[in-house]
Amino acid sequence: MLRSLAALVLAFAAVHAADPPLKVAYSDWPGWTAWEIAIQKGWFKEAGVNVEFVWMEYGPSMEAFQAGKVDAVTVTNGDQLVMGAAGKASKGIILTDYSNGNDMIVGKPGINSVKDLKGKKVGLEVGFVEHLLLLKALEANGMTEADITLVNVPTNDTPQTLASGQVDAIGAWYPVSGQALEQVPGSKPIFTSKDAPGLIYDFTVVATESLTKRKADWLKIAAIWPKVTAYLADPATREDGIKIMAARVNVPPAKYAAAMPGTFILDLAGNLERFAKTDGLGSVYGSSKIAHAFNLANKVYDKPLNVEDFIDPSFIQAAKK
Amino acid sequence: MSVSDRFRRIAARPVVLDVQHLGMAFPGSGGGVVHALHDVSFQVRRREFVTVVGASGCGKSTLVRILAGLTAHSSGEVLLDGRPVNGPGPDRGMVFQGYTLFPWLSVLKNVMFGLEMQEVGHDAARAEALQWLDLVGLAHKAEAWPHQLSGGQRQRVAIARALAAKPRILLMDEPFGALDPQTRANLQEHLLQIWSHVDITIVFITHDIDEAVWLADRVLVLQPPDAAHPGGWLREAVEVPLPVPRTRAMLASDAFRATRERIDALIHPPQVHAAERLPVFKLTQAGDEIL
Amino acid sequence: MARGGWRVGGELSPRSAAVLWCCAFLLPLAAWCAVSYVPWLWHPQVLISEPGGSSYSAGMRVERADFAAAQREAASAGTAPPSGERVNPIFLPAPHAVGQALWTGFTTPPLRRGDPWLHESLGHSVSVILWGFVIASLIGVPLGILCGAVPAMARLVEPFVDFIRYMPAPAFGALCVAVLGINDAPKIAIIVIGTLFQMVLVIANTTRNLDRSLVEAALTLGASDKRLLLRVVVPGILPNLYTDLRVLLGWAWTYLIVAELIGASSGISWYINQQGKYRAYENVFAGIILIGIIGLVSDQVLAWIGRFLFPWSGQRPSKPSQIAFAIVSFPLRLPWILLVLARKHHPANQVKP
Repeated sequence: MLRSLAALVLAFAAVHAADPPLKVAYSDWPGWTAWEIAIQKGWFKEAGVNVEFVWMEYGPSMEAFQAGKVDAVTVTNGDQLVMGAAGKASKGIILTDYSNGNDMIVGKPGINSVKDLKGKKVGLEVGFVEHLLLLKALEANGMTEADITLVNVPTNDTPQTLASGQVDAIGAWYPVSGQALEQVPGSKPIFTSKDAPGLIYDFTVVATESLTKRKADWLKIAAIWPKVTAYLADPATREDGIKIMAARVNVPPAKYAAAMPGTFILDLAGNLERFAKTDGLGSVYGSSKIAHAFNLANKVYDKPLNVEDFIDPSFIQAAKK
Repeated sequence: MSVSDRFRRIAARPVVLDVQHLGMAFPGSGGGVVHALHDVSFQVRRREFVTVVGASGCGKSTLVRILAGLTAHSSGEVLLDGRPVNGPGPDRGMVFQGYTLFPWLSVLKNVMFGLEMQEVGHDAARAEALQWLDLVGLAHKAEAWPHQLSGGQRQRVAIARALAAKPRILLMDEPFGALDPQTRANLQEHLLQIWSHVDITIVFITHDIDEAVWLADRVLVLQPPDAAHPGGWLREAVEVPLPVPRTRAMLASDAFRATRERIDALIHPPQVHAAERLPVFKLTQAGDEIL
Repeated sequence: MARGGWRVGGELSPRSAAVLWCCAFLLPLAAWCAVSYVPWLWHPQVLISEPGGSSYSAGMRVERADFAAAQREAASAGTAPPSGERVNPIFLPAPHAVGQALWTGFTTPPLRRGDPWLHESLGHSVSVILWGFVIASLIGVPLGILCGAVPAMARLVEPFVDFIRYMPAPAFGALCVAVLGINDAPKIAIIVIGTLFQMVLVIANTTRNLDRSLVEAALTLGASDKRLLLRVVVPGILPNLYTDLRVLLGWAWTYLIVAELIGASSGISWYINQQGKYRAYENVFAGIILIGIIGLVSDQVLAWIGRFLFPWSGQRPSKPSQIAFAIVSFPLRLPWILLVLARKHHPANQVKP
């Protein structure tokens, strides 16, 4: 008995000495910033998993992940496929949220619905999420891309572009979309990610290599996510949760709270439901398939991918027990 | 000692610098060839003081740069003590027209520079440099920076620096050209004084005929290119029939004047001027009379 | 009578120079104040306080013309007109707001536990710059001098350096991360890439501008190539080299903003970037001004030190400034002084009577 205990301790120590901390790059999006709660509460240490979260800009975080300098990254399911087409094998194991209004198409005064866009100009970053959102909006109204004229505008410049009158509508995400609404009086959102929930899922994505090598650790990490969502769902702790997240992005909590409703945080039940293998936006499989078709159609990349290779629900499912 | 005795004695000394059929040409901008010097030959004997004069464009600066090894020649030969000269070396000291003291070194360190290049130890170099500074009368400025000296003082230090490296020959390229007449006269006297104390051969370039005659044993007169000579060429070597040591009073002597005029005539052949026909340019204001 | 300081090639009295130096900062500040506090100068927008019957909401910023139209509309429709006050766009905060942001920036602890204070962020940025600059200098200064002094080296190195210096340093961000990881190393690398190639060309040029007759004089004194380089070329260009490096250090700062946003976010640039994203422009201005102050002060200090480093260049620092320098530099000189004293009193160096 004593002997086996000693062996266990030795094995434990060996594992610990051998394993460097897992590195997760996360960036400024409410669903991802929520991990900060687990960090500050010390839940990873509690679970005995050695993980280091690295705060980055979104673009650089993807670069670091592709270069293999971090083990995991927080991205949208569509962008995960873009990295996959560039040769990075990875699996989405935790759905943090889906965009629920934070991405929007904003029409200038006089444009009151998607139908009003017929024959008009729309400014957005061609080939990225807002383009996908616009296509979805047109489809829902029985129209196609041929009915409008696309103008390629960097997302950060969309408010000024809308104000200048050069386009009739723009596509942008929070907080840029809010800026456009404030800057152009009378402008209004005519279609948002809330109208197509599940079009844009937000993932915690792990490199396949790390997932096989450090399976036990990733299982522990997946088990922590439900604790985070519970902390944000409980009215007693929600305010503290938002305060922790606001501190991460270095803005006052009240200002940060404004970004929360546009993001639908997915708890354990939400994860299990959205990880079901079905078509349509109610499942991340369906959503990724749509994103893949969109990426191919728009020549974001030209390599056909097997979408299912990029999703692994088993980790969050294990957290159920 | 008579002047002719003196020249006989110089002629008996060994040749230090032997310039044979020296030519210098380089490709010009228009595809042609520009000749700077054409077939220049002369010899300088030990402890002789030779000056080189000529109108601008005669190649006298090119000549001294070739002697120093700073510019390559294209034909002929330059021999120092019988050995051909290739590139610059401490056996030929040089004093330039511009101020070339190293501004980051004190006066003393400037004079020590050449000695240190020859691996003379610090203390020995220092002692020796101080002696040379003493010779040019600037020992009290040893610790000063070059920028704190006057133009004349800087050239005196430059002479000390060149001599300290113990060259076989001292080349001077219009060293007093930038100085005012008073300082210039002082430095000329000073240079002759140094020359009388130091066993050194000097080739001295100048465009000032008075200076050339008063300083030298011999004056080489260079001429700019003409129909017969594609480059600057050596017109004549004029011996100066003045005794040494030289004094300022000799400037008024007949021998000085005669030599001076002879050289002047070589450099500036008489030309006919139609002065009467030149129009008078009016700088006066309306109403003024031209007087 | 000398020509006045406002004439071409004129002369300026020290007093006017000092006054103008102050004006250089006070005039832009005055213009900023005027635009911020005098309502009719610019203030192109209206900040809605009461939306009335219009489609506006409180706290919204609208263009003045639109606001006037909305008021007319309300009047003709007989509904309550919107009201509000004229403001500048949010991108131009008022001086007092920026001053306040500076003060609170330094006095409030970071929101997030374990995050750096503002001064620690600044310190981190400065250390990234310094490391980048030191590494660039260790390569760039010797290479630049060699290129300037040896024509063959210039021909071999400069064309490629000239080619690469036009490449945008930020474009190397992903590569730097792939090679050097996500911490400070890739940021330092960006600073190095941004400054090194300029440095080589600038220093090569400075070296070429060294008075050729100094080199020739040394040649006639028997200097070898190695000594020519170390004892003539290097000391000859030192004062200009020092000025070059001062200017190049300013360049390094311009790459900080991109450098700090690759890999793990850090430093003052992240602060500026993040505050801009959430439209806290008073904090953005505070951050920008801090960088300006650090740049100006460090440059002035280096210029001041430079006057003592090269006593041969003929600049005479004033007496008080000499005393100040003696005090400041004493700790640095102490080891040297002790060494000289020790050598003097060493028994082997005692002169025997």
